[in-house]
Amino acid sequence: MVIAMTDLAIKAEGLRRTYRSRNGWLKPSWRHTEAVRGISLEIERGELFGLLGPNGAGKTTTIKMLTTLLLPTSGSARVAGFDVVQDTREVRKRVGYVFGGDRGLYDRLSGLDNLRYFAELYAVPAREQRTRIAELLELVGLTGREREKVEGYSRGMRQRLHLARGLLHRPEVLFLDEPSIGVDPVGARELRRTVADLASSGTTVLLTTHYMAEAEELCGRIAVIADGAIQQIGTAEELKHRTDGRRVLTAEVFGASEADLDRIRLLPSVHGVTVEDRGLSQIVTVQSAVGTDIEPQVREALTGIRVGRIDKREPSLEDAYIAIVTGVDRDADERTGGTAGVPG
Amino acid sequence: MTDVLAKFRLVGTGGVLAYRALFNWARLPVFIGTLLAEPVTQLVFFVYLGRQLGVANDTFFIVGNAVLAASKAGVYGGTMAVGNERRFGTLGNVLLSPRSRSAVFLGRALPYAANGLFVAVFTLTVGSLLFGLDLPVQSLPGIAAALVIASLTCAFFGLTLGALGLRLLDVWLVSNIAYVLLLILTGVNVPSETLPGWVQAIGDFVPVTHAAEAARLAAAGADFETLAGPLALEAAVCVGFAVLSALLLHVFEKAGRTSGSLETI
Repeated sequence: MVIAMTDLAIKAEGLRRTYRSRNGWLKPSWRHTEAVRGISLEIERGELFGLLGPNGAGKTTTIKMLTTLLLPTSGSARVAGFDVVQDTREVRKRVGYVFGGDRGLYDRLSGLDNLRYFAELYAVPAREQRTRIAELLELVGLTGREREKVEGYSRGMRQRLHLARGLLHRPEVLFLDEPSIGVDPVGARELRRTVADLASSGTTVLLTTHYMAEAEELCGRIAVIADGAIQQIGTAEELKHRTDGRRVLTAEVFGASEADLDRIRLLPSVHGVTVEDRGLSQIVTVQSAVGTDIEPQVREALTGIRVGRIDKREPSLEDAYIAIVTGVDRDADERTGGTAGVPG
Repeated sequence: MTDVLAKFRLVGTGGVLAYRALFNWARLPVFIGTLLAEPVTQLVFFVYLGRQLGVANDTFFIVGNAVLAASKAGVYGGTMAVGNERRFGTLGNVLLSPRSRSAVFLGRALPYAANGLFVAVFTLTVGSLLFGLDLPVQSLPGIAAALVIASLTCAFFGLTLGALGLRLLDVWLVSNIAYVLLLILTGVNVPSETLPGWVQAIGDFVPVTHAAEAARLAAAGADFETLAGPLALEAAVCVGFAVLSALLLHVFEKAGRTSGSLETI
């Protein structure tokens, strides 16, 4: 798809970022880490675009470059039509950045004073501040709580205040970096509704998240980023094609070791195996070729280990995501001869 | 015109909100203990020490320590104005502002200067009452001018240290050292002429030195013409630190964007 520049909210070409860190003082040695390796992106105005990837994949580094907080090592990017290196002030006037977590607010101030201060910082005209703040407090459901100090706010309230802060100056492009992290399901649902409303009113949203359901529900297109590069880009349906011809088996096991999992990985029709620790138990997810009943072979590979419930199902977006990401990990392991992953 | 008013709002309203958000000692009990009781205690200590050693009279220590009292809010406040942004994780949000950095950060210095001035006046008043120092009325404008300029100089000096907070993780260490050095370098508790030449030379470029001299001259009944010299020198140091802090904030922000060293998010 070719999009005219004027329709683009974000255009990145070959964006790279290398971090240099020093070890030791007397005989310093320098370590270079490529957090982002040549990302190219085109996001239309009004689009709600998802950026998915594991921790350290380069999502936050990419956002920092697009919001002018970090200079790219090479490559270029334009946001709302302005260059992120040359026209920083113009870009900053037009972007909002909201990130998840407890930090990023002045705990000693009330929610209202936080917004008043950021309204000054983000150049909201004085005559508009009062109505804009009231409007946003209403939007994020903090009306009536705005005079309480932020130090007493719950995680969900803080997150909603973050969103209000990011929207104060009516940004054309809103960057949401894992906004629903740690937010309870009801709060997360309200947040998703607000984000969807923003996009439908014309704001471009770039959303990073770990929650596949969130990405699938909200995002028109999704890019999967891993190992500092975009591995796949498309709609949720298009990404799911990655798992065409596959079936998924999930098994609850107790005390499986890496060697046990390796035995499953070596089975002929297995495409990928992941494990998720859940306290005493583990959930092993096995992707295999369709038409093969893998269960007896998995049970045999896990001989001697207590196996609980086993389910089989069609692949989901999460399975597609895992297939993409684990594929990259395997490639990176082969390249480096060790564990892949970069800070970012 | 609208731009100018907006800048005033950023400096005024923004500065006060930032003060409330970032100043660790804004709570009343901490304010009283740290900014009121401690400088008075220090003044009392040096007055008695001075009497014991016969170095100088009470006026020397009362006026000198009152001027120095302006430094604590400035030095630590200025550091907090930048350093605490890291603590709250708000630095990234502030740096995303399209507004002028000079207006954002220099505006933050003003509440600390006002705070320093209040502390200095309080310390001078309490010191004078405790030790029966009777300052002539005609000396008060000169002393007031010295305190105002010293408070501003200390706030911009603190902001300069705070700018280092964009580069250093542990900027408080620098502030602690700087605060103690002011005790020695400014000649507030040791007559300058008894200090080695190189210490005196450094002292000429730090806050308080010239303001303390002006305040002492005023207390001794000097006319405004005599005070103008040291007051002008203190004002020059003030402008120097204001410019230096703006420069460092600009340079370190740029360097941080290049190296990725800013703890932004």
